[in-house]
Amino acid sequence: FLGAGGGNDIQWCFSQVKGAVDDDVAEADIISTVEFNHSGELLATGDKGGRVVIFQQEQENKTQSHSRGEYNVYSTFQSHEPEFDYLKSLEIEEKINKIRWLPQKNAAQFLLSTNDKTIKLWKISERDKRPEGYNLKEEDGRYRDPTTVTTLRVPVFRPMDLMVEASPRRIFANAHTYHINSISINSDYETYLSADDLRINLWHLEITDRSFNIVDIKPANMEELTEVITAAEFHPNSCSTFVYSSSKGTIRLCDMRASALCDRHSKLFEEPEDPSNRSFFSEIISSISDVKFSHSGRYMMTRDYLSVKIWDLNMENRPVETYQVHEYLRSKLCSLYENDCIFDKFECCWNGLDRQVEFSLIVMTGSYNNFFRMFDRNTKRDITLEASRENNKPRTVLKPRKVCASGKRKKDEISVDSLDFNKKILHTAWHPKENIIAVATTNNLYIFQDKMN
Amino acid sequence: MLGRGLKRKLSDYEENMAGLSSAFDSSRSLPYPLKRQLVLNMCLTKLQTYKMLVEPNLHRSVLIANTVRQIQEEMRQESNQQPVNICPGLALSSHSYTGVESSGISLQLPSGISQQESNCCDLRSVEDPIENSLLIVSDDDMSSAISSILKDLDFVEDISPPTCLVPTGDDQPKFPENTGLKLEDDRQDLKGAECVFGSFEISNSTSYLKDLAIDDIFEDIDTSMYDSDFCCPPLMPPRSPSLATEEPLKNFPSCNSSSASNIQICRTDLSELDHIMEILVGS
Repeated sequence: FLGAGGGNDIQWCFSQVKGAVDDDVAEADIISTVEFNHSGELLATGDKGGRVVIFQQEQENKTQSHSRGEYNVYSTFQSHEPEFDYLKSLEIEEKINKIRWLPQKNAAQFLLSTNDKTIKLWKISERDKRPEGYNLKEEDGRYRDPTTVTTLRVPVFRPMDLMVEASPRRIFANAHTYHINSISINSDYETYLSADDLRINLWHLEITDRSFNIVDIKPANMEELTEVITAAEFHPNSCSTFVYSSSKGTIRLCDMRASALCDRHSKLFEEPEDPSNRSFFSEIISSISDVKFSHSGRYMMTRDYLSVKIWDLNMENRPVETYQVHEYLRSKLCSLYENDCIFDKFECCWNGLDRQVEFSLIVMTGSYNNFFRMFDRNTKRDITLEASRENNKPRTVLKPRKVCASGKRKKDEISVDSLDFNKKILHTAWHPKENIIAVATTNNLYIFQDKMN
Repeated sequence: MLGRGLKRKLSDYEENMAGLSSAFDSSRSLPYPLKRQLVLNMCLTKLQTYKMLVEPNLHRSVLIANTVRQIQEEMRQESNQQPVNICPGLALSSHSYTGVESSGISLQLPSGISQQESNCCDLRSVEDPIENSLLIVSDDDMSSAISSILKDLDFVEDISPPTCLVPTGDDQPKFPENTGLKLEDDRQDLKGAECVFGSFEISNSTSYLKDLAIDDIFEDIDTSMYDSDFCCPPLMPPRSPSLATEEPLKNFPSCNSSSASNIQICRTDLSELDHIMEILVGS
């Protein structure tokens, strides 16, 4: 069903919403990252308060064949605490910038979570049995009087209520002077990269006391600084290849086999500026906020302030496709600059792959007013949907939204001036194997799935 | 939260700017130079605000600095092509950017200027509030705004701790090799001296003062008269030549600080070193 028609043949329905109902948002509850694990069974969110909440999908209920399993809280833990750097008199924010899951190798699950300065490897494991029948201890833990012990027995494991424990297994610290914006696990599943504004480091998952610097764009004189790194990602198949995007709208592809310090890129992807769209804000809106490889690794997608671009890795001089997310904002750039919305960093994601779909065909990204957008590469159709508690009943198909840029506003359309710029959807995620999406508003997580017939 | 920076309580100013930026967006009749001026002022205001934060956002600062550079380049090219239209006496001193006044950046242009301005561009169609809200900015102002915010971002010390070598006997102390550390010269020298006496409590406590950005402590003191060219003479305390341990102090560098506060700290430090030497020598 997805292969033939694409995005618009999927009928998205509200499934669940997580988070407080209040309009008054506690700052610590602001969601800062959303990520499905490799099987899609687990969905992790990070927030500004440094917490990670993991939801688990229920096993499919045979009697309720019209809906997939719901996501319920599986584990909650404090990943990062606020820190104070006494040397520089700086507070280090505990906000979780990114979470990345490792593929599952045994019963436990592992994820990397990072704030501005420190990356942590967390192990999430289940405990559903406990030993009983100790010789020297009572069941409640009190020690027995040794003189009362007349026989010995071997303790046995008995079932208990499921307990999910999260424990930090590695802490990768003190390698970043600037703020970490990305982490990406290599396809070798042994190494990963972390990128800050000016540098990218390569780590081995087992080794915490050193990392290799593979990209450094800091100039000798900071007054000459004109460009920063905004995102980085490893190629999904080639373990020596990675890309990083910049604030000037360029993407550089680097091969680690070429040299230890990848200062010279193998490829530079840059689209020449359209002179008719030139403004004072051209550079600011060209800054790339996210970069994601397609599943095959043949394409990559970048998100800048107003658009999503698809690049073919074999063509550096321009993207193969460009999708306008909210072009109606182009005439509002000065106001958006004034209120700093122009610096909002939207992420983007590809559709998941299931039995029928082998390619990355649909692109999803967020916008303002709690709207999010999807673009179908095949049909070239797009849709705008809204994440809101109103009019959201399970199994009711979401109504498409439309923004009226200018002129007479039709019924059900919303005018640009009525958009709420405080309601922004920066983080979205697509289940790797099913048509289930997670969309984060400021402090709520919405889960939508397609209507199964 | 500590160290978060100041929150502007300039609601009037903000309203003013919001009004101006929507005028920019909606009005087609705003002349280009005025639009450019508006954007430039917004950029400079933002940079100024970021400077007041303990840790400015590097990404945003770079983007805004680039926008200022772009406008600066444009204005330079225009002034190269049309030297006649440069309005003299419009450049305001950089002191106008040392802080955001509570009344906002609404400065009345000198009355004589509006005549000259109308020779440069036709402003008669423009509403008064816009004209009165804009500062005329010189090329130097733009350059100094850019370099000061980027220089501030360089205060963030790179992560690789220096190796600190302790002197043996009469050997002159070696100053720590700063592999990858990019400190300003005076701080580096002070750190070197402090490393020599690293185990002494007195030195450790004064080192905390040195590592703070000195400017922040003395922000409200007007040190403008001490800026740039002021250089203090080498601060060698008078001592009797009989002290054998005078050697280590020979390499203590002169302070090349540019503010009175730094000099005070150098002097304090040296008198304490003096004190320590007396203890060591046992006199």
